[in-house]
Amino acid sequence: MQEIIVENSQIRTFVLTFCEPEENVAFSPQPGQFVMVSLPHCGEAPISVSSPPTRPGTIHLSVRKAGKLTNAMHELKPGDPVNLRGPYGRSFPMEELPEKNLFFVAGGIGLAPLRAVINHCLDSGKPPRSITVLYGSRTPSDIAFKNDLQLWQNLGVNCFLTVDAAEPGWHGPVGLVTGLLEGLNPDLSRSMALVCGPPQMFKAVLSRLTALGFGDEQILTTMERHMKCGVGLCRHCHMDGKLACMDGPVFYLSELRGLKLTELDR
Amino acid sequence: MTHPANDLHLIKKDHLTGLLRKLMKTHRLVAPVRNRHGDVLFTAIHDLDAVSFELTEPPQNSLKEFFLPQEEVLYTYKVTGKTGYSFQPSSVEVPATVYFGAHPCDISSLLYMDVIFTRNRRDPFYLRRRRGSLIIGINCNQPAENCFCNATGSGPFLELGSDLQLTDLDDRFLVEAGRAGGRAVIAEWPAFFSPAGEKEQALRYQAFLEARGGFQRQVPIEQAIRRLREGTVPDEIWAELSLRCQDCGGCAYLCPTCTCFTITDRPLAQESGERIRAWDACTFAGFTAMAGGHNPVPSGEALRQRFTHKFRDDVKVNGRPGCVGCGRCVGACFGGSDVIRFAKQVTEERGKGAGHD
Repeated sequence: MQEIIVENSQIRTFVLTFCEPEENVAFSPQPGQFVMVSLPHCGEAPISVSSPPTRPGTIHLSVRKAGKLTNAMHELKPGDPVNLRGPYGRSFPMEELPEKNLFFVAGGIGLAPLRAVINHCLDSGKPPRSITVLYGSRTPSDIAFKNDLQLWQNLGVNCFLTVDAAEPGWHGPVGLVTGLLEGLNPDLSRSMALVCGPPQMFKAVLSRLTALGFGDEQILTTMERHMKCGVGLCRHCHMDGKLACMDGPVFYLSELRGLKLTELDR
Repeated sequence: MTHPANDLHLIKKDHLTGLLRKLMKTHRLVAPVRNRHGDVLFTAIHDLDAVSFELTEPPQNSLKEFFLPQEEVLYTYKVTGKTGYSFQPSSVEVPATVYFGAHPCDISSLLYMDVIFTRNRRDPFYLRRRRGSLIIGINCNQPAENCFCNATGSGPFLELGSDLQLTDLDDRFLVEAGRAGGRAVIAEWPAFFSPAGEKEQALRYQAFLEARGGFQRQVPIEQAIRRLREGTVPDEIWAELSLRCQDCGGCAYLCPTCTCFTITDRPLAQESGERIRAWDACTFAGFTAMAGGHNPVPSGEALRQRFTHKFRDDVKVNGRPGCVGCGRCVGACFGGSDVIRFAKQVTEERGKGAGHD
């Protein structure tokens, strides 16, 4: 553990570097992939990598306090070792993103896996046409990844924030992240939307994107599931015939249509 | 019905114990025996003279526990410093083992597990138990009450999967050597065997025909598979089955092809512990629950996963269902949401009552 970034009261970004320096070169997770993280006596949990392979040397894990392992992670101090295995799963199709107008739609910790994609795009020699980030948080003090949002804004990324409930001093929009989609008039022939967030938000965003004219092949998402093995055996991450760990966690919406998933309200 | 590549031999029933005694010099023996409570169980046998085999009544347990134990230590770990963690693979010595008296359903399920634990990656913990195994199977002349392996394509007779496959011909067994391991046994102990001829082949076929006619249940597995593939199973059927399910997990624990597991850390001291793999079941409410409490699979949906995995997804991936028709879950299910009720209910015309025959 090299550095800890406190994103909000519930989310921290852990900046890790390998104890054996040569591992830093060999270990190169692609945006969207996850690792199984473990700490003594706590078992393992799947955590998506929030840094891109274009920035080698460190691995970022942005983690919300949710259970035994993640609570223990939040107790960590710089210098403490963490156990990783992976990377696992299917990554975002980065080769499809150049020359596109990219719309990143996220809620809460859902920005973590998309952060890796956004930074990868910013580092890439073949950048997208435009990047728009629509980010929903519960309250202004819950807004995570503030450093990143500021930096992205400075680099020409259009960042729009909304909160479910305002606090004194907040002058931005209040309401669901779908509200931020209202004013958009995307060039649909070359746009992609990348969505990650809680199921209720996900459902609302999908129907809004579809109404805007996004096709199912133009919407990418990454699914959160309980996992024990990460390699397609334990089946805790089953998704009506697909496994999040092997078939995902990144999916085109077209691959999820017809599946019985709470995220799709079927 | 005889596989042309199989070597055919005979062994007199009187000679069987002698052969097993020879094999026990180099192997552990696991076979179905009746214990003092009257239960038939696959059991590790230390004294051949103290047991008698039960080769007709299906054992209550399957071979699963010998290859995927209910609980298994994968690694031991030591904690160094505050959060340092070092793992040592558990050093379990698994003896070479003869599995004697396995029915076609149980051998079929072993083949299923071979696929599961080698397809995506070779699972070293499974393979260390599987590698030294010698399977001596026995065809089922008399299917038991809950058997329906005829409907799942995994019995009552089997032509591949075991090292030696026996058919009971009264005073002797016809012996088919399906795999190299079986041929090696015959080559090493030829005195126990004599060649089989056309007469015995005819007797085997006769026994097969009688066994095939001996099923007490007709379970519409193929039609159920079709319904699941078409996606035409009404939600009410899932709801009713789920309502009946008591979430006991008995079906999954007894099922020879239910291989879902969980992994946990078990602390043994402040600085050490074990990483455990243990059986789990998709019907358990917490199977898909994530840290923080959100569960993407609503209660009432878990049974759907059990049956769609076995009869839709496995068929799609493996070309055959993840059910071998052993019927163990039928005997275990006290809620009435077992596989036979499922198959009947999804294939019956709507509006009619459903239930066991």
